Order: sequence, then structure tokens, then C-alpha cells
Amino acid sequence: MGYYDIDDMLTEGSEVPCKFLQDIPGLGYLENNPGKPIKANAKLMLPYWLAHILAAIDSIPLSEDSMAVDEEEEAVPFLEMSTPESFSQRVINAIKTDPKSLDLHSINPHFYELAIKWCAIYSAKDLAKVVSDLLLQRSQDINNFAYSMSTTNKNIDSIGSMSNNTDIKPHNLLASSSFLMTLDELEKQIYRTSHESYKDSKRWMFQNK
Amino acid sequence: MYCELANKLVVEAKRTEQLNSRNNARTTLPVHNDELVRNVLKEVTQLKKNLEFFKEQQDIMSTEGISVDSNVMKCQYFVNLLCLERNKRCLLGYQKLRSDMLDSMAWENNGMDVMGSNLGEENSNLTHQEQEYLKKYSELITEMKSGELTDIDLSGSLIPPKEVFIDVRVLKDAGEIQTEYGVFNLIKDSQFFVRQSDVERLIQQGFLQKI
Repeated sequence: MGYYDIDDMLTEGSEVPCKFLQDIPGLGYLENNPGKPIKANAKLMLPYWLAHILAAIDSIPLSEDSMAVDEEEEAVPFLEMSTPESFSQRVINAIKTDPKSLDLHSINPHFYELAIKWCAIYSAKDLAKVVSDLLLQRSQDINNFAYSMSTTNKNIDSIGSMSNNTDIKPHNLLASSSFLMTLDELEKQIYRTSHESYKDSKRWMFQNK
Repeated sequence: MYCELANKLVVEAKRTEQLNSRNNARTTLPVHNDELVRNVLKEVTQLKKNLEFFKEQQDIMSTEGISVDSNVMKCQYFVNLLCLERNKRCLLGYQKLRSDMLDSMAWENNGMDVMGSNLGEENSNLTHQEQEYLKKYSELITEMKSGELTDIDLSGSLIPPKEVFIDVRVLKDAGEIQTEYGVFNLIKDSQFFVRQSDVERLIQQGFLQKI
């Protein structure tokens, strides 16, 4: 989650549905019609990096004299983020029923990282629980697929280049590749790392025999 | 909207990252996407102009005594600023990835005993600044190696040595090559039984293949 983290940048680029709470002139280009003001209650999709800051800033005027005037007014942020499609009830239900057959990649390729950010902002305990269960459930399968690798035909050295070429056995190939397509980016990272380490340790063992 | 170009840049960076994690071969750096970077920079100047314009407007309004809606101003400033920040982050991320790869290239390839001749075939893919950076970084590495730690070849192989003597096969014709420990006549497809520490560098350069 560092500043230079490419995946983090892509995560922050995913769009979130937002609602403006104030009229703001000059920002029409966010709605694709520059030159016009944005009306209060306008709904639009904004990238996360823009939305989460605007949702956090309270619009209390900075200058001191106007502070006194507006004191009774409650601090309103510029916009409000509503729950993105990735965390809608429909998706939550799907997660609860069968985590393993869920196509996370098509929901959001950066599901977990966005979920972490979302939970951090809104301290959403329910969502955090659901997502951590999801990761736990799916990691069992990830581990299985990372481990399964042809050791019988002894051509471990030739596996070499491709980490995604999991299985040489045809019936496994189908199952694993369709599962691998459903992984989100974080899971892919986990899968790749664990697959590499299984592969390396196997190669080492068979060479030392 | 703003920053869509920057997003493209990040996607490209991601792709480079993936290509490299899969490729067991040496890191290959794709061409620096000059055009996209230039367009992002153009957008940045546009954003900067916007900010100046806001400031002017605010000055005019305050001198004429029109009450300034500071909220609106603040929001406009913020959106602009955030776009600037985002563009900056994307550009830096792209460049950081590339410079990381250049660093590893400098450690892997240029640290050999034929130091100085930076014969990376990627050189054409690098921008002028990156070539400069690569040169300076290689100089830094050499400087460090010629400092207190001369006994250890810091850019040497990280694989722990297992056998003292190994069989090697020559992959490329290279004629006679003088190493620190003696002269080899490297003819293609000939084999040698040599001390591993003697030929480690030739293996790294791709002249020899360990058997």
C-alpha cells in the first residue's frame, strides 16, 4: 500500500458512486459537461482517489469572520460516497453462499484492497468479517491449486518459465485455469508466490535425489 | 475527465511488472512511453493554469467587495489539487518501476568484470535521462565495490556455491577470453571441467552453460 505501489494506484482508480451535497459551480467537467455547475444531489461516478478526500473534508469556511455566522450550521462534506456495486447486498449474499465459486475478478479486479480501504473509512465491521472469511475460504483453494503440479513425469525443469501453467494433467488443467480466472489481483499475487515456492522446493528435492 | 491518461500509464506499468515477473529471462524494459508522459504533463500545466485562474478570480472578487463563497473556492481548489497529486503519483509510480528495473539490470549485467562497456541492448528503449541514470548508478556500484568491501564480489551470483568444480558447455563463440585466473579458448559446443568461481561471470554473461 505504498505510495509507489502500482496495484494501489489501480485500486484507487476504481469508481465509486457519489452524491454531491452542495451546489458547486465550475466543476461540471466531472459530469462531462464543463461550464455548468454541479447541482446538489447530483449523482455521478467518481474515482476513489478523488471521492474519498472530498467526502472527508468538512466545508466549514476557513476565514474567521464567516466562522461566527455559520457556527450553527452543521459541517457538511462536499459529497457523500454510497456503497459501490462491489459491496452491494447482492454481492455480499453471493459471498456468503459460496466463496469458492465466486468470480471475484469480474466483480472488481481489486476487490480486497478496495474493501480494506472501505472498511478503514467507514469502520464497517460486518463487511470486514465477510471479506476476511472470504479470503480464508478462498485461500484454501489457492493453496490446493498452487501445490498441485505434475511431479510424476519429472520434467520439472521444463516447467520453468510460466507460473500460470499449473497442471500438465488435462483434467486438472481445466479446473485450475477456470478457477484462476476468478482470482482478484491480490489473490493472484498470493497464488503466484506460493506456486513459485512449491515449485522451487520440489525442483530442489528432485535434483538432490 | 482529468487523470485518465495517467491511468493508462499505470496500466502499462502494471503490464510491464507482470511481464517481468513471469519472464525468467533477464529483465526487459519496454520503450518509454514518451507521448503519454508528455500528454500527462500537458494536462498538469493545464491544471496549474486553472489554479492560477482561480486565484486571480478570488482576488478580483475580494477587491470588488463581492462576498466570496469560500466553500466553492475550496472545492474547486481541492479537486484541482487532487488531480495534480494523482498525476504526480502515476508519473512517479511509472518512473519508479522503470528505475527499479534499471537498478536490477545494473546489478545483474553491468557488474561483470568487463565493467564500463554498458552493452545493454535496452539502451535504445531508455530515455536520455534514464541512460544517464543507469550510468551514474553503475558508477555508484563500482565505487562501492572498490571501497572497503573489495574482498567480496557484491554483484556476484547469489546462489550458494555447492560444488567446487563443474562441467560447463560453451554456448557462444567468443575466442580466447582472459579471465583473472587464466585463458580459456571458448569454441562453440566445447566442454570444460573448471572451477566454478572462475567461470561464474562467464555464465552470468551467457557464454557458458552449466551442466
